[in-house]
Amino acid sequence: MNPFWSNIFHKKSEADSLIAFLRSLAIFADLGRREVSFIAGLVHARRYAPAETIFEGGDPGTGMYAVRSGRVAIFIRHPDGQKEQLAVLGPGDFFGEATLLAPARRTASARTLEETELVGLFRADLMEATRKHPNVSNAILISLARILSERMQAAELEIRQLRAALRLSPPPTGTESDDLP
Amino acid sequence: MTPKPVLTRVHLLLFFFVLAAGIAVGLSLFSSASTVLTLIRTATSGLFLPLLLSLIATFLLGPIVSFIERENISRTLSIFLVYLLVAALLLLAAGWLSPHWQEMWSSLRTDLPRYTAKFITLLRDAQENLQNRFPYIESYDLTGHARTLAEQLVAQILVGTPKSALRLGSLLILVPLFTFFFLRDGNLILRTCVSLTPNRYFEMVHDLTSVVSRQMADFIRGRLLEAFIVGLVVTLGLSFTDLRYTPILGIFAGVTNLIPYIGPLVGMIPGILIALVDLGMGAQFWWIVIVYFLIAQVIVDNFILIPVLISRYSNLHPLWVLLAIIMGGKLYGVLGMIIGVPVASIIKIALLEIRHYRNTFALPDTAQEQERPT
Repeated sequence: MNPFWSNIFHKKSEADSLIAFLRSLAIFADLGRREVSFIAGLVHARRYAPAETIFEGGDPGTGMYAVRSGRVAIFIRHPDGQKEQLAVLGPGDFFGEATLLAPARRTASARTLEETELVGLFRADLMEATRKHPNVSNAILISLARILSERMQAAELEIRQLRAALRLSPPPTGTESDDLP
Repeated sequence: MTPKPVLTRVHLLLFFFVLAAGIAVGLSLFSSASTVLTLIRTATSGLFLPLLLSLIATFLLGPIVSFIERENISRTLSIFLVYLLVAALLLLAAGWLSPHWQEMWSSLRTDLPRYTAKFITLLRDAQENLQNRFPYIESYDLTGHARTLAEQLVAQILVGTPKSALRLGSLLILVPLFTFFFLRDGNLILRTCVSLTPNRYFEMVHDLTSVVSRQMADFIRGRLLEAFIVGLVVTLGLSFTDLRYTPILGIFAGVTNLIPYIGPLVGMIPGILIALVDLGMGAQFWWIVIVYFLIAQVIVDNFILIPVLISRYSNLHPLWVLLAIIMGGKLYGVLGMIIGVPVASIIKIALLEIRHYRNTFALPDTAQEQERPT
């Protein structure tokens, strides 16, 4: 085909592997092929060097990242300069989804451990999509809301269990129990 | 025990040669750079207008394309559909207007000198009046200057219009082509530019770009719609009178309405002049003045359109408006005068958005600096 016309009517073949990766994510598992290929046009695939900062706690957070390859460490910086590692994420995991819908600062820092490929989905793109393609973005938003409410329920259960455990065990130090709501 | 360096004649000669070579290299680099710059300038000189027009068309057609795309039609196909629609509308308009247009053009050729002559007599009367009242004003050949200016202007319009029709032909090919690619790949172009930013700042730049570009698109769309509606109102208002050339006057009022403060005043000069020459100071003349001032400007534009379409946000101080018009005029003539103010407004929107963003979230590096002392 003539390059001019193939530029207008070509189908992206390199996007297929991205679509396959997105379908493997838990967050988009319920979506159909059409919706996922639409998301593939929204996300940004980015490469990170080893030990590169993805974001720091306190940064403006505008979206979520999914790990395509490599490993990412999530940690908190304490005021005294110590780092507390919360999790190490591998391919198929995603993080930062809490700021996808509501603008907020990042509550933890993320840093790559090795050569990493991340796929980012950001609020600006999602909001643009809700205005232009309401049907597809409805499916995306519902599946996001499902994931978020599942996580919230799990967190709430955990808080309840921790509270119960705290009540059962005799409080050795009074200061720690004061921190809990 | 290092020997003390002695500046021999050879050293001086070497130093001189190095210096001369350095200057020569610098000069040649500078001249080649300026040649490259002139080459770039000549290469892009004809592109400014088509690019500008196709950007405007992209902003106007974008929402329609997205609306069609919503019905599960691919973007390329929906752009073609919009093009078909626009082409049909243009053909209809041309078919409806062309007989009137021909007539109007030929009568305008004969009328234009008449209007300018009347304008010059008006000016002379005013000057004589002024000199009778203040006789100490040195007699200045105002009418002579005005006459040469007006004659130049008329000649330019009469001769230049068929010439610019030739340029219009190339625009008719280039603008739809550019617009097509802007409509289809505009988002992709922006995404590619944004994706060049380093990882650390990517998220912030991405968010900021989307906010700023949305504000800009709203602003440009609002301005164009405002100009269109004002032009329509003027055309309708004037068509109640016996005034001729109402479509041309309406278009002129609409286009000049893009410039705040000064534009509307300039836009009403030809209409009022023609009314004065053809109709005299009758009831119709005052109706025309009312249409221009009260209906189009005060009621429609200030009370209805500006509050609805354009946020206070993008308002510029009159001083900035004047500066933007003067600088735009210096750069690109009349076209620059028209687009100078919108460009200044867009810059203001971008700056305000960045400041707003900085206030909402502290920037990453400043956030770190704030954290460090604690």
